[in-house]
Formats: sequence, structure tokens, C-alpha cells
Amino acid sequence: MNRLVRIGALLAPAVLLFTAAARADDSLTKVAEEVNKKMVKVWGSGGLHGLPAFGTGIVVSPDGYILTANTQLLDTRDLRVHLWDGSKYHGEVVAQEPELDIALIKIGNDKDKVEDLPYFDLAEAAKRPPVDVGAGVLAFSNAFEIATRDDPVSVQHAVVTAFAKLQGRNGFYEMPFTGKVYMVDAVTNNPGAAGGALTTRKGELIGVIGRGLKNELTGTWMNYSIPVSAAVQVKQPDGKTATASMIDLLLRKNKYTKINPDSKPGEGYAAYTGIVLVAEPVDITPPYIEDVIPGSPAAAAGLKSDDLIVYVGGVSVKTIDAYKELIKHYPPNQKIQLEVRRGDMLTTIELTPTEPPKKH
Amino acid sequence: MSIRNYRRLLTAMFLTAGIVALLASAQGDDLDKRLQDAEANRVALIEQVKKPVIAVLAPGGQGGGSGVLITEDGYALTNFHVAAAIGSYFHCGLATGEMYDAVLVGLDRAGDLALIKLIQKKDREVKFPVATLGDSDKLQPGDWTLALGNPLLLATDFNPTVTYGMVSGTHRYQKIPHPTGTLLEYCDCIQVDTAINPGNSGGPLFNMQGEFVGINSAGSLGKSDRINSGAAYSISVNMIKNFLGQLRAGMECDHATLGADVEPENEEGGVGRLIVKRVVTGSEVDRRGLAVDDQLVSFAGWPLTNINQYKNKLGIYPKGWRVPLVFRHETTDRREVLVRLPGRRPDVIPDNRTDNPTADAETTPPPLPPPPAGTDAAKLYEGKLGFANYYFNKLERKRLMDAFHAKGDFSGLRGDWTMKAACTLGKKISTAQIAVKAPTKEDKSEKIVADVDLVGYTVDPLSTETKLEDLALPKGSGGLLVALYQYRQLLAFGDKGFSGEFSHGGVEPFYPPLPGDAGPDYIKQRVMCEVLRTQLAGVPAKWYFSKGDGSLLGFEVVVDRDDDPCEVYLSEYHQEEGRSLPGRMEVRYKDKTYAVLNGINWKLEPVK
Repeated sequence: MNRLVRIGALLAPAVLLFTAAARADDSLTKVAEEVNKKMVKVWGSGGLHGLPAFGTGIVVSPDGYILTANTQLLDTRDLRVHLWDGSKYHGEVVAQEPELDIALIKIGNDKDKVEDLPYFDLAEAAKRPPVDVGAGVLAFSNAFEIATRDDPVSVQHAVVTAFAKLQGRNGFYEMPFTGKVYMVDAVTNNPGAAGGALTTRKGELIGVIGRGLKNELTGTWMNYSIPVSAAVQVKQPDGKTATASMIDLLLRKNKYTKINPDSKPGEGYAAYTGIVLVAEPVDITPPYIEDVIPGSPAAAAGLKSDDLIVYVGGVSVKTIDAYKELIKHYPPNQKIQLEVRRGDMLTTIELTPTEPPKKH
Repeated sequence: MSIRNYRRLLTAMFLTAGIVALLASAQGDDLDKRLQDAEANRVALIEQVKKPVIAVLAPGGQGGGSGVLITEDGYALTNFHVAAAIGSYFHCGLATGEMYDAVLVGLDRAGDLALIKLIQKKDREVKFPVATLGDSDKLQPGDWTLALGNPLLLATDFNPTVTYGMVSGTHRYQKIPHPTGTLLEYCDCIQVDTAINPGNSGGPLFNMQGEFVGINSAGSLGKSDRINSGAAYSISVNMIKNFLGQLRAGMECDHATLGADVEPENEEGGVGRLIVKRVVTGSEVDRRGLAVDDQLVSFAGWPLTNINQYKNKLGIYPKGWRVPLVFRHETTDRREVLVRLPGRRPDVIPDNRTDNPTADAETTPPPLPPPPAGTDAAKLYEGKLGFANYYFNKLERKRLMDAFHAKGDFSGLRGDWTMKAACTLGKKISTAQIAVKAPTKEDKSEKIVADVDLVGYTVDPLSTETKLEDLALPKGSGGLLVALYQYRQLLAFGDKGFSGEFSHGGVEPFYPPLPGDAGPDYIKQRVMCEVLRTQLAGVPAKWYFSKGDGSLLGFEVVVDRDDDPCEVYLSEYHQEEGRSLPGRMEVRYKDKTYAVLNGINWKLEPVK
């Protein structure tokens, strides 16, 4: 019985797919037109070392929440978002989940309200079962920064070649997300495509196009998308784990990045790093390292003066305040992953803080 | 589970299985048939569209690209960057495996286009298979396409490779620097995910109706160098159509610019507006009233909302085309004007009263290397600065003039020409008599003697003594007297009547006024015309011939290069002694009608 049902189930979509194809071309142009209205073009930080200063986003609420890839693009105060109709907005990063490699942007505010945007219902999309391997899909992105203002994003056709974890080959890829991803047969992950949409041929959202990743062994580039239903277990600084998904980002919005929302300012660990930050003349001073105390964990990790701390544990820090707020949640002997900008380079540095040295 | 239940279940399973099996077989057959039909249709389509596809190769050398035949006598399109790597002489392989020699005809460097012509074999003349030109503006993202060509020069028998893919975007703007120093600009181009690889360059993109919609030219450099990155660009056939007239005339095409700098208004929210940041003093847009801070609303009929669209639309027109422009002055005052678009390469301004060559070595790129001596291609080639192959300009010019001369032979009438007409100047109705006097034994100079609205004029059009303001007489006409002098030169003397340039200028839009008092409607007025460019005594002129019947619809004469030309529109043609002559002339200057000459009575005399 079970087997027969499965045959039936397999047959049905095959016929549906075919009729869709037979009805042909204008249905796909309509899908392309509709999906484009839910896509945005994003400009932010980058432009060096092959990191593009442009990317793509997916509108997931009528009031201006946008899903995108959690890349260096967001590491700026000047995040610009162009909607399908050519209108232009300033974007604020409200939540980032490095384990999913996904972030949430918000456009519009009380003064300049955004409403009634065409959007993808993320909750609905996350409920849908994964599409089959072999299914025809579409990819939408602003690869190569080809579109601006009201230019539509690019649409490509592809076939899902695998729905698989990349964990097994983790050593070959610098893969931030370790769950199952959609692999496709077309070159979808071009510069600027990260944060784009993978949809069915009916225009249903199924995945978010990932950043460009290279297999260090074969030199080939991967064309993958993170499924909208992806969920990861995220270890909190307090040691507990919590489930994180794209919909969690949207539901919790700006509360999401607070690692321990219950902690009050002034609390936390006082682990020792040996980092001396620049003086803080204004509350938005970025966390530049003024000095590194010789023999300290920071010195051992190779940090240098003039390094700019960009991420702490995958969370972007734009100010000294934000850095201090995050760093105090790390107990002594727990590794902290820092992304620092040194000159034009972004470098990942692992630092293990110790107990504060005793004062003499 | 009881036995009975089990049996019931078995029966149910059996039935279900039967139904599913039946369904499966019905749907399977159906599916099979439709799949087979679709595939058969596609195979048949490919069989058709591959015929005009050619491989464009360097004779005896390495490398090459692709191309597509567009006329039965062998004209084919390819990329400039394909031609530039080879020269003016090519070997072209047809899908049938046959090889033909070909010669360069025309070049559009910035637009990355080249027109070449396959040379018929001596023993037999063939009709080449041709691609049908489609309408690339009808393409939409999501449409399917076929790209044909010779990627990686795989097919040694020239049977083209076909790739199948999707339109990813339309009206795209891309630019790529070329080693020759030219910036290749793909304006209003088609972006496809159809696999395009080195060697595909110059080959055609087809829609699924089998119409030729683009020339596959470039791809975004992905992470894998030079190989298909999922984003390739095809020059839209609609842009090609704009340049085809100039390409056939063997020209070195130049693209248009505006004479003003336009930038997007930098403000958050709202839809983008394009704002004029700078206007070139003395340019035509300046004369038409375009000013800094004005908003550009539409260009050549295309509404503009972002800077890519502006660059796109500006880039699809050749230098010299006249197009409508809509702009908003001081946010409220909406104006529509016609402007002649200047070129990107700087104009060479000859001394006002001499006939310097129109092209200058400093601003015009040197021609590609000529075909080797002794080849058939060498017989079809003539080098001249400013042209890709002047041989083809002469060919087009001869065809145009032969068709025009068929409407009347005026070569026996090189004496005095006199026209009398009723003349409407604004609301006033008056008379005009204009005579072009041939030189006599007593007076070697030529003269225009006229009486327009009771004012008498005498102008020597060739003398260097004649002042610029006299050449522009009658006042407000922009130089009607000189225009009519040049009209007689063209009719009575043809190419002998012009000491300077006398070349085919390709195809351009022309805007004869609509009959009656209806306001301007440039879309309705627009007629595509073949253009003849002339120069005499430092005065350039452009002559517009109907593409339909070859009749002369009008002409423009530029007396003062810093000012607008005198425009003359001819109509109400009638036969006089086997010669076709206009009964009506409308004379326009700047954006106004200066005069309408009605019921023209011509008296054309032979030399005394």
C-alpha cells in the first residue's frame, strides 16, 4: 500500500510539472515577474579581496523585514536597499545567525513607513516539505550587480541535484552552515547572489542562495541554497542550546541577537583577554585595538594594535559598547572567535581568555 | 488483523493497484507523447535555425567566433571583437560544412558589432539561408532561448553547437574595456543563463519561435575564468536594427551622446528621477532649453526611471539620429523637443569654408588591416579613414542615387533654376520667387537671386567673401537660399556637385510635419530614411530618401555649425516632363516653421 501510494505521489508531480512546462513560457515569465517584486538589491561593505559590496535580499514581511545572507556586506552603517519598484531605503541589520549564515534586515521607520510590500510568507514556506532531487527550480539574485533601482533581479533555471549535508566534506569547504542544503546544476552562487531566492517553478520560496564557497580540494565552486526550513542547534554562551531557524529570526527580530536577553548591563564574566581598545570619545566608536598586552591571550592569538574587531562569535560589533556587551558573556577558558579587519584583510582569530591576572 | 480484514485489505490494494496502473499507463502514454512532440518540435526548430549560423575564422590562423547570415546575398553579423582579432578578411564555415571567403563591411566598435559579407563562389551563385529578425523588446525574463555558434571551436565541420536556457533579464547595461582602447558597451542587452562560452561570440540567440533576437557577445566573469558563469549577454537585435543602415554603408559607426550629463537624484525612498547636472554650452539640447536641475522624463519615447535605463536607451542610437526628448523644467513645465544626438568621438570641425575630410586621424580609430592582395576580398575593399570599408559605402551610394535618378534626370538642366510659389509666413500669405543663376561668360560666379515676401536678396553661396549671416538668409529660415542652391546641385550635378563629402550615411529617422494644424506627434511623424551626406563650400547637408520609394522627402543644410540647420520638407510630388518635382516645401528652423511654399512653379533651364 505504502509503496503504491508512493508511486502515485511520484507520478502526480511529474504530470503536473509537465503540464506546467507544456503551458510553457508565459507562466514562467509571470512567475519571474511576481517573484521579482519580493526581491531587493542590497549595497553595503565590501569591494576588496573578491568580496562584493552588493548582494540580494528576500522580503518576508509587508512592513519591510528582509532575509539575506550573513556576509561582510552587512558590516556597515550605510546599508542601502533598492526595492523592485526602484524606491531606495536605508537598511538596519536587526538579527544575525552565523550558524544558519542568515541575517534579517529592516527597512523603513516611523518617519518613513514601509507597508504593503509584496512578500514571501516565511512560515508557510518553512512548512512545505523539501522539493525532490531532480525538480526544476528557479534562482533569483542580483549577481554581478547587474540591476539597480527598478531593474529586475536576474532569474536562472536549474535542477536540484542533491539535498544533502555538506558536513561530510566540511574540511574542503569553509561552510558556516552544516545542515542539508539544496545543490543545483546551474551557476547560481555568483558574486552578489548571496541572499537571493531559490524557488519552485511556481515561484514558491524554498531556499536562500548561499555565499560563494570553494572546494579547496577540487577548486570547484558550490552552487547551494540554504532551505527555508533549516533549523540549527545554537549553543548559547550560558551553555544551553536553542533551536534557531529563519522564522525564529523573523519572529524575535531585534531581540534575536541578544545572546542572553535576561542579563543586565554590568553583569557577566570578567575574563581576561589583554586587549586594550582605543579610548571611547563617543558611544559609536568602533572597537579598534589600541594595544595588546604582552604575554596576554590576545598576544598569544596574534592580535595587533590597529586591528578592528568586526565580529565576536559571529555577531557583528559596530561599537566598543557592543563589543563590551558581548565579550563579557564569555567565561574564562571558552574560545572566542573574532573576525578582525587588518588593513584590507578580514582575519579570523581564536582567542581563549583566562582568569584575570592577580594584581600585585 | 483478522483473515477477513486482511483479505479486504488485499482486495483494496489490488483495486488501487489496478487503478494506479491504469492511470499510470494512460498518463504515461500521454506524457510520453507530449514529451516526444515537444522534443520533436524543438529538434525541428533547431534544424531550421542552425542553417544561417556560421563560424567566423581567421584564414590560416588561430581563433575565431561565430556569426549569423541576415541576407540571401551573404551579409552576416558578428562581433567587433571577433573581427578585430582577425582583420578585414575571413573564412566562414556554414552549417552544411561549406567554406566561404568573407570581407568586412561595417563596424560598430562601441556596440561590439561587425557586418561582414560572404563572397559568392565563382562557379555558382547561391541564396544563403537567413535568420528572421525578431523583436527583442518582446522578450521577458523567464522566456526560453537557443544560442547557436561555435563555442571552443568544437565543430570542425561547422555544424553549430546549440545551448538552451532562460532569459535572466532584459534591458541590461554592461561595459567591458577592449584591448583596442574601445569601451564595449552592451546597452539594452539581453541577459541569459544559456551557456555561452568563448567562440560563441558573434553567434545568434533565438527565441522559441525561431526568431533571431540577439548576438551572443559576452559573459560576466564568474569564479571560473572565461567559462560560462550563468550570466551571459546578448546584443539586442532591436539595437542592431538601428545600426544596420550604417553598417551596410561600410561606416565606422559612432554611438550617440546627449550633450548633457544626467545623474540620478540622490534621495531615499520614492522612485528615482534623473536630473540634469551639466549642459554642454551651444549643444542642441542647450539650444532647445534643457537646463541644469531639469528632470529628464523620457528619451526617444522611452520613460526613464533609473540611470541604467538612461544609459541603455542612449546607447542604442547612432550618432546623428534625431529623437524626441521630454524634460521637466523647474519641476512643472513639461517640454517635448526633437534633438539631433552628437557622437561620442569628438567632431572634427573643418575650417568654415573649406571641405576638409570629415574624419580625423586623432579621433577616428585606424581601420582594421586590409585583406591580403590577390584575394577576392581585396577586390571588395577600399580603405578610408572614418569607414570600415569604403567600397560598400560607394555601393550603397550608387544604389541610392540610381533609384533617385530613375525619378528624373536633371543632368541636362544645369542652367538657371527658378521657382515661384505662394508663401505662407506665420499667418501672412505672400509670394516667393527664388532663382539659382548659373555662371555666365560675363559673371563666372553663381548667384541666388530671390524675392521672398517683397524683400529682395542676392547671395553668392560659394564666395569666401559672403558673410555667415548672408548665407543664413532669409532671416529666420536658417539659410533657405543656400539650401535651394544645394538642392539644385544635387539634382543637376549629383556627386559632381559637391567638392567635399558625398557619402551614404546609413538610415536615420526623419520627421516630416503632419498635414493640417495638428501639433507635433513625433512617433506618428517618424519615417525611416536613407541618408546622403554631402559637403560643399564648408556647408554640410543631409538628404533624406524614403526607404519605401526612394523619393527625396527633405534635407537639412547647416550654414552655421554652432546653430540649427535649415530644414526643408518636400511633398506633393508631380511629374513635369518625365521628372518628379515637389509642389510643396515646408521650411523649418529651430523648432518652428519658417514658411510653407505652396503650388510651386518650377522653371528649370539647360545651360545657355
